[in-house]
Amino acid sequence: MEIGYYPGCSLKQSSALYDLQSRMVFSLLGVELKEIGDWNCCGATSAGKVNDFLAVAMPARNIGIAEAAGFDEVVIPCSACYSRTLVAQKRLEENPGLRTEINSELKRKVKNGLKISSILEVFMDRIDAGAMKEKAVKKFRGLKPVCYYGCMQTRFPYTVPVPDNVENPQGMETVLASVGVKALDWNCKTWCCGASAAVNDADTAFSLMAKIMKEALQRGANCFVVTCPMCQLNLDAHQDSFCEKYGIEERLPVYFITEVVGAALGFAPEILQADRHFIDGTTLLKELEEHEQK
Amino acid sequence: MTESAIEFSPERTTPFLQEVMERSGQMLTACYQCRRCAAGCTVGDETGCFTPNLLIRTVMLGDRETALSNPLVWKCVSCYTCGTRCPNDIQTARITETLKKMAKEEHVEPMMPKVKEFHDAFVESGVRWGRVNEVEFMGIYESKAALREAKVKNYDAIVEEIKAQARLGLTMFKKKRMHTGFLMASGRREIKALYKKAQEMTTIDQ
Ligand code: SF4
Ligand code: SF4
Repeated sequence: MEIGYYPGCSLKQSSALYDLQSRMVFSLLGVELKEIGDWNCCGATSAGKVNDFLAVAMPARNIGIAEAAGFDEVVIPCSACYSRTLVAQKRLEENPGLRTEINSELKRKVKNGLKISSILEVFMDRIDAGAMKEKAVKKFRGLKPVCYYGCMQTRFPYTVPVPDNVENPQGMETVLASVGVKALDWNCKTWCCGASAAVNDADTAFSLMAKIMKEALQRGANCFVVTCPMCQLNLDAHQDSFCEKYGIEERLPVYFITEVVGAALGFAPEILQADRHFIDGTTLLKELEEHEQK
Repeated sequence: MTESAIEFSPERTTPFLQEVMERSGQMLTACYQCRRCAAGCTVGDETGCFTPNLLIRTVMLGDRETALSNPLVWKCVSCYTCGTRCPNDIQTARITETLKKMAKEEHVEPMMPKVKEFHDAFVESGVRWGRVNEVEFMGIYESKAALREAKVKNYDAIVEEIKAQARLGLTMFKKKRMHTGFLMASGRREIKALYKKAQEMTTIDQ
């Protein structure tokens, strides 16, 4: 099976490991991710703060490209790109005037009916198809992850259908359970990491991330699992800084969902490029694997 | 003390309130000050008592100056928690975003200039190449900040900022998280045309 794939800027740069893992994992599960041609930046959270028309227009062009290429479904692993594109689609649907304005500048016009999926929805389809259990060859019973959704996976600035519980989502927990990993319950699933504030207002972002970290530790977690590259980079790259500032001694690796699923499907940490974390991610996976073999 | 706590003048209030409502698409007048938004605001610890409901009341009272310059407008991280929980579906993040734009149009000095510089730099980079190049974008952002500090001769701040970013940049490089190639979309002309259109339509946010 083939579906359309929008990687977005992060997955082509600082989070290139997420791009690689997504393609590898889904290919093994029987879904080929076909990158849509000549896509552009979705505008992320910035476009809406600078110009609202642009915030709809930028993802609109990508929707047009995917539709013209004949895709019925496009998967967007980055939570921010997913949110922006989903919201843009909804606004174009509800506002024909806006749609005409935007379409007049586009070579490939937005029609409708494209299904925009988060990475969790595509995993869910695989669970339903029975593909996950069958392919899960490695056990990681010692992994105690807390699933961190952040903001963009479940909360939207516009009314769109949300495929998960808004306050207590279960998507990542379900995906992990399907490969035999039991996630811990905790309070900060949908708290905010501060996003771009890590760069432009570090005091605020560090205080938010320290609260999330403390709760994860209190629950006895040994890692975070995320879907959003922004959350991943923030919790990973700034972990030393915010932990030092708030007197936290422990450190936790921050895995992409594709990384943990990939490991359970039998990919070695190096193949998954788990060595590209700021907080070491390979040791824990290797230790747990050895432990299972004993 | 005979000073009244709030001042209300309809002449001043109505046009401002209407503009914010129209541009943000949020029905501010539906707010009944239940403070559910305040209870869960992500940046509550950082903004003191300036909670979303207070921002809404400020706009309703027509206090333009405070509405454009307060900790919530500039510290709001657009997490959408308040809007998801509001019984009246009011998305305060859409209001803070609108107020940031209005502040810019009215040349009000942003309370947190770095926030504005960040988003401006991001859009600049995205529109220029069709895709955002992280290294270029951080460069634009840092130079905007440096230029502002240089204007007030605050050279220490520039040095500190460069040091901090260089430290992060170096670790990113070591971890192979820094991308050195260049991304662009060949259809960026379409994006530029849309951006031009967008600028002509600045007052229609919805
Ligand atoms: S939750 Fe909604 S109605 Fe209640 S105070 Fe906040 S904005 Fe007003
Ligand atoms: S969107 Fe802004 S105002 Fe609302 S809870 Fe988040 S930080 Fe607070």
